[in-house]
Amino acid sequence: MKRREFIKNSMLASGMFYVPSFVKAFEQTTQQTLGPKKLVIIQLSGGNDGLNTVIPYTNDVYYRNRPDISIRQNVLLRLNDELGFNINLAPLKELYDQGYVTIINNVGYPNPNRSHFRSTDIWHTASGPNEYLNSGWLGRYIDTYGKMPYAGIELDDSLSLIMKGEHINGIATKNPKILFRNAHTPYFKKILNYQTDEHLSEHNLGYLYKTMIEARSSASYIYETSRTFSSRLSYPDNPFGNQLKTTAEFINSNLSTAVYYISMGGFDTHNNQVNRQGRLLKMYSESIAIFVEDLKQNNTFKDTLILTFSEFGRRVKENAASGTDHGTANSVFLIGDKLKAPGFYNESPNMLRLDDNGDLIYTVDFRSIYASILGDWLHVDDETILNKSFPKLDVLG
Amino acid sequence: MKQKHLQHLFLRAGFGIGFSELNELRDLSKRRVVDRLFLASRHPDPLRIDLSELEKEIQMYQDNRKLPDRKKMQELNKKHRLKIRELNYAWIDTLCHTNTVLNEKMTLFWANVFVCRDNNAIHFQHYNNTLREHALGNFRDFVKAVAREPSMSKYLNNRQNVKESPNENFARELMELFTLGIGNYTEQDIKEAARAFTGWSFKGNGDFFLRKFKHDYGVKTFLGKTGQFNGDDIIDTILEQKQCARFICEKVYRYFVNPVIDRDRVEELTDIFYASYDIEDLMRQIFSSDWFYHDENIGVKIKSPIELLVGINTIVPMVFQNKKQLYYLQKMMGQVLLYPVNVAGWKGDKTWIDSNTLMFRMKLPSLLLNNAVINLEEKGEFEDTFANYYRQKKTNRFLKVTSDWDSFNRQYGGLKPNELKRLLLVSKTDEDTESLVSNLKVASNRDFCIQLMSLPEYQLC
Repeated sequence: MKRREFIKNSMLASGMFYVPSFVKAFEQTTQQTLGPKKLVIIQLSGGNDGLNTVIPYTNDVYYRNRPDISIRQNVLLRLNDELGFNINLAPLKELYDQGYVTIINNVGYPNPNRSHFRSTDIWHTASGPNEYLNSGWLGRYIDTYGKMPYAGIELDDSLSLIMKGEHINGIATKNPKILFRNAHTPYFKKILNYQTDEHLSEHNLGYLYKTMIEARSSASYIYETSRTFSSRLSYPDNPFGNQLKTTAEFINSNLSTAVYYISMGGFDTHNNQVNRQGRLLKMYSESIAIFVEDLKQNNTFKDTLILTFSEFGRRVKENAASGTDHGTANSVFLIGDKLKAPGFYNESPNMLRLDDNGDLIYTVDFRSIYASILGDWLHVDDETILNKSFPKLDVLG
Repeated sequence: MKQKHLQHLFLRAGFGIGFSELNELRDLSKRRVVDRLFLASRHPDPLRIDLSELEKEIQMYQDNRKLPDRKKMQELNKKHRLKIRELNYAWIDTLCHTNTVLNEKMTLFWANVFVCRDNNAIHFQHYNNTLREHALGNFRDFVKAVAREPSMSKYLNNRQNVKESPNENFARELMELFTLGIGNYTEQDIKEAARAFTGWSFKGNGDFFLRKFKHDYGVKTFLGKTGQFNGDDIIDTILEQKQCARFICEKVYRYFVNPVIDRDRVEELTDIFYASYDIEDLMRQIFSSDWFYHDENIGVKIKSPIELLVGINTIVPMVFQNKKQLYYLQKMMGQVLLYPVNVAGWKGDKTWIDSNTLMFRMKLPSLLLNNAVINLEEKGEFEDTFANYYRQKKTNRFLKVTSDWDSFNRQYGGLKPNELKRLLLVSKTDEDTESLVSNLKVASNRDFCIQLMSLPEYQLC
């Protein structure tokens, strides 16, 4: 079935039968042209400590700077002669051993900002450090290629900047049934039933009506489509596991959504870091492993790429509370079936050359990763989306 | 004044107008109404919450010339955080009940021009009151005052700006976001301006103070002028640029008149503002003009979440039993006072709206006034632990709000449906909406009010 017909049919099935003709006409002119590739972005929010995630276990500087919280050589999972995973990443190590993981070290940007908000802004909008953009890079992708909000879904109840475009935004939901219910109240239905297309031409009022229609039809589409598939695997029983499970149900039900965004909270480990971070990494990797398995069983892993980042890494030197403070460059994970360079993409962090704050100096601009994903995975024009050309990394396609 | 024009004026200069007040003003001329508006804002009260405990504690450390240890520092920071939250609630309360409504609206506007964030409740309350104090005053004094605020000094790293290694952050944002706009100065101008602000700092009590040994007394060349400039000289030189007046007039126009700029009108306003930099003059000019009341400017702006929330309260007075839920509402709609997204502030208008916020905003009247069930959760904070980040608020299934329907009924109970509609919707309503509204079942004006507030048209002001 062609996508267009499929959408139309699922609209009919969802009771959109009563929808006024102008709404239907509107929906049909905005059919989308997305390819089969999926991108799932996970942000470890709060600033994950990269050095205790991928541990430079042969580096004296690392152990000298972290007498209290460094990870000992005998409790980690060696990946090569210099670096090893935190022991809590055992499920990720299995994926790594199968060639499904690329680790890019020292990812960051010039003049790093150590505020959660600002640095998240920069990662979400793909802006320069002195630039303030009002749209996210996935939002601009949806703008240019997606046409409807459901082209991008955030697994939450409200939408982050990363998913906001200039003209059209993604949509947020962690529970499609609730989304559907909120978009299909009898009153909403009544309002739209009375409308012909008059309002659509008006400036802001038209924008409100257009957004309302899009919200309603996106909610129907997501709910009606995703409920045809229910995951049989048992995910770890925590909110992050649930977010991934819902994402798998979206992908495996052939929802035409191309980009997903999940924020996993809790990584701001200013104190008692070792146990706190350990538990988080365990949840992260166990959930990811099941997620990958779920996709594999449904033959969708080959078309899915998972990017994991954090708004910043943490300071090399530990603080007095057995934790670490906000830092800069960090490791980024790419997980997928079609990786060109599984394993480590680049050199280990250089801990002898730090900036004035005692933080790592980046060597890979995060926007180069975005450019590679846009160009080599989603097969779209990365310069259009990023407003600038960045050298691509040879990691995909 | 015409009812429609009164409604328009009060939606822009405030948060709407109740029926009784409307009736009081109906027979007055535009000039009298505008005069009254400014007169009422003559003496704004500062916003103050009880910070005595925090102040005492900080005084103690200062007297003993001792810094708190890490644990004490964490406790102190937590107290500051809670107080800033309290300040947020107090600010909203002020917006709902103020007698100086124009000044409050201006304060809200300036908070999104001189954007700032702080973790120190004492400094931040002071900052907020500086905005309030100058909101209708002289722009030159205003910029100079803001530049001396501890909150701003910290937020844009001016405190770290010293002769040996100038920090350009404040100088850059001063020009890019507060006064001129990008493209109206060079990188070299930023460097020179930063030198002029070196050594600007503040004392323990928040008072401005110049660290003389950190200040660069040398000659600077800035925007074509050369001299031994200090920070105030830089601000004066910026204000000499007509672009500065234009930049502010554009912001004012977008916020108070129309999100779409009319070049000629903005130039007219720029000429007036440039002559004196008197904010009251500028605003008086706008509200007294004929064009402000043209149809093309009425009901075309998308309400900010705060305008929406406070606007509902203008019609149906509400009391929040659980203040935390005020925070929830702000978060879900994407505008939390005192927590701007970044130094560029909220872009406003269309950017308030995406599928999720629109559905939420249209449900807001039912949540507030009709006990609708909450089925969505706000995002966690960056600083949260995992458990807190995802904490389920199962116990908060409803908003605990007491709405004063008696007050509503006294004013609006006897109105005909069409009169109530006219009071609540200022935006254009086409035939379709008219026929929808006339076909709604009106069991009571109370229900009808909630229905009207749930229309897309109500999102506009």
